[in-house]
Amino acid sequence: MNDGEILIEGAQRSDAETGSSGGIDLNPHAQACLQHLLRVWLGFERDLSTVPLLRRIDLGTYTVEDHRCLLLNLRQQVIEGSRWITRAASSFDRNHAEIRSTIIAHAVDEHRDYELLERDYVASGGRVEDIQAMERNLGSEALHGYLMHRSSRPNPIDLLGAMWIIEGLGEKMARSWADQIQELTGLTEDSTRFMTYHAHNDGDHMLRFYAMLDEVCVNEERTRAIVKTAKVVARLYRLQLEEVEHDLE
Amino acid sequence: MSVYITSTGMFLPGPPIAVEEVEGILGAVNGKPSSLRVQIQKANKIQTRHYAIDANQQTTHSNTQMASAAATQCLDRAFVAREKVGLLAVATTQGDHPAPGMASMVQAELGLAELEILTTHGICSSSMMALKAAWNSLRLEEHEAALVVSSELASRLLKKQRYEAATASTFAEKRIDFNTEFLRWMLSDGAGALMLQNKPAPKGLSLRIDWVRGFSHAHAFPTCMSVGSAGRVEDTRTWQDYSTYAEAETAGALLLRQDVRLLDNILRMGVDGYLRLVQEGVSKPLEVDHFLCHYSSHHFRDKILDLLDAAGVGIPEERWWTNLYTRGNTGAASLFIMIDEFLRTGEVDIQEGQTVLCFVPESGRFNTTYMQLTVVKQ
Repeated sequence: MNDGEILIEGAQRSDAETGSSGGIDLNPHAQACLQHLLRVWLGFERDLSTVPLLRRIDLGTYTVEDHRCLLLNLRQQVIEGSRWITRAASSFDRNHAEIRSTIIAHAVDEHRDYELLERDYVASGGRVEDIQAMERNLGSEALHGYLMHRSSRPNPIDLLGAMWIIEGLGEKMARSWADQIQELTGLTEDSTRFMTYHAHNDGDHMLRFYAMLDEVCVNEERTRAIVKTAKVVARLYRLQLEEVEHDLE
Repeated sequence: MSVYITSTGMFLPGPPIAVEEVEGILGAVNGKPSSLRVQIQKANKIQTRHYAIDANQQTTHSNTQMASAAATQCLDRAFVAREKVGLLAVATTQGDHPAPGMASMVQAELGLAELEILTTHGICSSSMMALKAAWNSLRLEEHEAALVVSSELASRLLKKQRYEAATASTFAEKRIDFNTEFLRWMLSDGAGALMLQNKPAPKGLSLRIDWVRGFSHAHAFPTCMSVGSAGRVEDTRTWQDYSTYAEAETAGALLLRQDVRLLDNILRMGVDGYLRLVQEGVSKPLEVDHFLCHYSSHHFRDKILDLLDAAGVGIPEERWWTNLYTRGNTGAASLFIMIDEFLRTGEVDIQEGQTVLCFVPESGRFNTTYMQLTVVKQ
């Protein structure tokens, strides 16, 4: 029975589907925020279906070249991801020690994920020099610029919105991309380790996310800030994925 | 101007067909039993359904006849003269004729003189489209009463001869073509009808229509459920582009298909739409007394429940009601058949003032539709 309190089962989208349970009661602002975030997520997920490269996963025409192109473009975002998140951690003052600890732990978990990506790229027939030499695409520039800017501000709690989108995407890659990519391209799991690896951490990360949301999302102003940042990050992330096929030259 | 559902009717052709009898009606393709039937039927948990074809795959009732039978029952139960009905709105996925619209044929069959007609074409949500148009025409005070009918004759698309003729299709090529066979074990035939009036019925319960909303996501997603193309990405032709209809049939362009990989999206968009209605203050999940959710298969019921719960807008399971398991998945007709039986079954305690939420998702190209009703008594 839903009596107005959300009993979040281990939480969100993925856990709802796997039926795992955890159970955190959120304060009313955090609850409202979570509903907004869910809608931002569902809209983002839908709009990803319009990105030409990803649409080919839906249509069944995704190729090995597409996969290399995707990995090539994701690497910079993953490297920069650990930079903005550590920057964000340092921007929280001592009144936010709890969230700072959580974010630091998160950064430690993921700051070398790009190495997985490089190995996936090589397993997909790419050359390691090429992926290491790849620069940020236009969308990655915009996304990285925005995230570094936000994370440099004092106590950037709105970045919970960014984490929501980026963590959600990690979960989506594991849930719906990795297997389909293998099936469509004939590549093995060695080419999708970055995507599947994320799923292992996901449950923990989401539980920590709910705890953070409950702690910092305590008024409407904060809800708005978190939701707005989620929207901006969703849009810029999609831009980054739209740009993967555009030559930088 | 408030508008009320004041009478209902339904028609299900022939006897109820049990799970193990289904292939005897639709026919075993090339004489070989399906290797997917049991698995798909286990997942959808539909126990009985009805077909308007017999065991020789001959049509026993036309779509027009089924629609008219449901409409007649609805008219016979209504406290309103036939002459007062100003609009006939009919929804179906595929009428008996590609042209004219099915409403013309149903009007003729019913012998309703000089009224306005509307045919809505789509899949499951076409019923909601017809209902919304009728609701609006009454709200605009153009008519005092409107008859809304939805009817489906899916079995004609699912009989063995369709698959046997598709000799150059993906179905003929693949050992297992899940996408082409999936709906064969899901859909069945039937019709439902609702009378809409500008006042409640003088006796019994009526349902006031509070709102009807829909959100379509065709702009973002590929087609998920369709008839008309061969199901090959590289081939963009649709059935009328082939030199002959025979060629289209051979290529499998007349087979009903579902891209099952994309199906999850309809659940997600369904939850997104409901979250939107909650955020707009249009629906309050805690105030929903009865939830009539059209889902195609039991398999999706738990997924919808979990997603709604996770979003904090869950509707307790004891408030859900459906007759999917005994009446089958009749596509566009499902909701009206559900409303008719919901009002008549003794299973549910329906009280004046209660709120009924209806949800009809359509996987065709991802349309989600919602309606809220309030139980009233004059």
